[in-house]
Amino acid sequence: MSSLAVHLDGITKRFPGVVANDDVDLRVEEGSVHALLGENGAGKTTLMNVLYGLYQPTEGTVRLNDEVMDFGSPRDAIDAGVGMIHQHFMLVDPMTVTENVVLGNEPRKWGGLAVDRAASRRAVVDLAETFGFDVEPDAAIEDVSVGEQQRVEILKALYRGADVLILDEPTAVLTPQEVEELFGVFEELTAQGKTIIFISHKLDEAMRAADDITVLRDGVNVGTVDADTTSREELAELMVGREVLLSTDKEPVERGDPGLSVSNLTVRDDRDVVAVDDLSFDVHEGEVFGIAGVDGNGQSELVEAITGLHATEAGSVGIEGEDVTDESRRKRIARGMAYIPEDRQDRGLVMDYDLVENGLLGKQHDPAFAPNGRIDWEETYEHTADVIREYDVRPADPSASARSLSGGNQQKFIVGREFSQDPDVVVASHPTRGVDIGSVEFIHDRILDLRARGKAVLLVSSKLDEVQSLSDRLAVIHDGEFVDVVDPAATTEEELGLLMGGERPDDVATLRAGGDVA
Amino acid sequence: MSADDAEDASGSRSIPEWSESAASRIITASAKERIFISFAAFVASILVGSVLVYLSGLVVACEGTSLFFGSCYDPFQVYYYLFVDPFIGGFNVALVMKEAVLLLFTGLSVAVAFRAGLFNIGSQGQLVVGGLASALAVLFTAPLAPGGVAGTLVLVPLALVVGATFGGVFAAIPGALKAYADANEVITTIMLNFVAANLAFFLVGTYFQDPNSGSVETRSIPAYSQLEPILPFFEGAPFSVVALVLGLGLVGGLYYLLANTAFGYDLRTSGVQPAAADYGGVAAKRLVVSSMTLSGALAGIGGAVYVLMVMGRYRTGVPALGFDGITVSILAGNNPLGVVPSALLFGVMKAGSLSIDFSLGVPKQLVGVLRGLVILFVAMPEFFRMLARYTSFGPDERTVAADGGDGDA
Repeated sequence: MSSLAVHLDGITKRFPGVVANDDVDLRVEEGSVHALLGENGAGKTTLMNVLYGLYQPTEGTVRLNDEVMDFGSPRDAIDAGVGMIHQHFMLVDPMTVTENVVLGNEPRKWGGLAVDRAASRRAVVDLAETFGFDVEPDAAIEDVSVGEQQRVEILKALYRGADVLILDEPTAVLTPQEVEELFGVFEELTAQGKTIIFISHKLDEAMRAADDITVLRDGVNVGTVDADTTSREELAELMVGREVLLSTDKEPVERGDPGLSVSNLTVRDDRDVVAVDDLSFDVHEGEVFGIAGVDGNGQSELVEAITGLHATEAGSVGIEGEDVTDESRRKRIARGMAYIPEDRQDRGLVMDYDLVENGLLGKQHDPAFAPNGRIDWEETYEHTADVIREYDVRPADPSASARSLSGGNQQKFIVGREFSQDPDVVVASHPTRGVDIGSVEFIHDRILDLRARGKAVLLVSSKLDEVQSLSDRLAVIHDGEFVDVVDPAATTEEELGLLMGGERPDDVATLRAGGDVA
Repeated sequence: MSADDAEDASGSRSIPEWSESAASRIITASAKERIFISFAAFVASILVGSVLVYLSGLVVACEGTSLFFGSCYDPFQVYYYLFVDPFIGGFNVALVMKEAVLLLFTGLSVAVAFRAGLFNIGSQGQLVVGGLASALAVLFTAPLAPGGVAGTLVLVPLALVVGATFGGVFAAIPGALKAYADANEVITTIMLNFVAANLAFFLVGTYFQDPNSGSVETRSIPAYSQLEPILPFFEGAPFSVVALVLGLGLVGGLYYLLANTAFGYDLRTSGVQPAAADYGGVAAKRLVVSSMTLSGALAGIGGAVYVLMVMGRYRTGVPALGFDGITVSILAGNNPLGVVPSALLFGVMKAGSLSIDFSLGVPKQLVGVLRGLVILFVAMPEFFRMLARYTSFGPDERTVAADGGDGDA
């Protein structure tokens, strides 16, 4: 057995109000490819930032080749042979590949007064040849493909003497072919003794490219598995977890007319790739329609297109039979669409505002709160105080700033605000992410309460137990398409895991027919 | 080796602990602390400036005897004239107020754009366009309007409305360019300043030139359409209480608008957190255009007041009121209420440097340095606060916020 290139020992990283990493162990063997798998916010990037010296761990030690390291800054980490390739490249667009690679460590001539361009170029060409990279040393960065830019980033790290390479979501910006090329690069690098850690939330990629896979969930290492012997199913379960199945009493509710209808909806993401592909479904009044799937399969784009925050390519969105595809976000709010966004700190709350001002967000044009465009602060204060009381937000102080609340309380406040105005259609995206178990139950009860009152609820979540226990119908999304729409009560987690991994329902059915799944 | 590493690590931390905490204290300061910080910075700037004045006085040769411990310049005297003399006598006070009132408009103009997250560097151009338009409007309407008090009541409001309209439209251009063509408003507003100045020069020189004048300027507007001092205390000065009341009214109005209206809420939210504003139903593009228009209208009113109160006509070569407005706004923390003391400070120093010019032998350039020091010292903490919003230098919680978004992909 080869030695450990990286050994993170009991890493805990706390931020005010948040534990991003909780006693995480990570062992990476020299010359291997190690995938760090987990949902958004599981603490993957934080952990790697600790290894890269951007953060200092609250507790625990970082070991490289069995030596304890104390990185004060990325500079120290780079000196110790750790290189990190961030998701957003840090390259100077108008400069050439060579200039970017040597930037900051240029070979010098004339006693250090001038950059030795010839030597720079030679160094880059040599390095590229050693690792079999396909790069054009004299091309400007802005003229080369994203895949090549990524290789330049890797070269940059290698040029600085990196033995351990960390890649943060390296495939997120790549086309499928470029992904293949990248994995080829991984093989070249490991063949020459380099160690690679890459962050991902895609099961397939981790299984394809990695030797070992460590899964993080809620800041905890929930298991390290061998990529050759694991299964998608196992990984999906590790990622989404099997929390205590909550006993949700779901009373039968009579299904009404469609409250939210989506037909032939196609949405492109920010990279202009089709993220939602010709989806059609209705969410009826008195129904919770769940969408399960591994993050990044088009859920965000779907939700934002429905709520009016993302342009649609084709198709339509309707609220209670009326087409709202071309209507603004503001009009959709006025029509009674409540939305719990997946990113509460970016979208759901204005972090610098106090809770009263946040209580107004989305309602500032509602005549109940701002008659004739003039804000009724007293009414807003009362409303906010009600939300705080009813949803047990702590601290129970309307003048507290949103920033000062813990993540769970921020979430409860948003849920309270969105549910309080008797909405007709509710779009809830990961409504319980990062929320403590007690609040989870509370939020689930509120969702079922809305259902009982005949509201149409669209629930998007990557927590299997959540979508399974709340939904009346459950769609599994993969790569922007529904793999299947199932009855959650009659489907096992194993089956869902397979569907989430993109297996066709026929195969799953075969599996089901084939008897017990191991 | 690991011991060495540890040493390296601590050695390479570029920011010492104390400065980090001082920086974050400035960034998280409350309103009361901010006022205290501003005052302390003001005093510090005077101390530093005094040393500078004293040292400069040592190296120059005086006419006659030395004034102050071997130096030709007496720091006490210099600062007396800079800050106290402007308050003595009606004419001096009027000079202060004239400058301060004009800066109220441009300061508000810049502040409102800042609050929406927009850098309107073009208040100067908007002021020029608004000023020229209002002068021409008055010149062309005056023959049709009644004279005397009735004329004042028609022409002054007309000039203000025309100034606001033209300033607003001129600012809507970079607003629309930003909203619909993704053009950076800093660049476009800067460039439009040149367009405005040269367009005004061309139009006045070619079509509206006063035939009896050697400079490039329009004819005078009728006396009854100009803003008069009203209070005998200010007699003879280019300052009008009406303009002051108008300026303070706009300060109050704008404060109310930002704090208590849906539009103000939309505007502020777009400024601090655009993604949350989108979520809250703010139409981002429309808001960019409307807040730029509002900003330009305020500058345009400033231009109209400049014409009605100071020049009595439009003359090319308008002083840099729009650019000073940027500093006034930053000094005020982009708060409409803060614009009042901030504009006043500018007015005092402007009048003060004039009286130093009259009364003392201290060179203008040195006085300029002293004024610069005051602004630099007082504005710096605010400037850092603004910077912290846009960079990672903020307090710790920001890191979490950034981290929470790590999975955006």
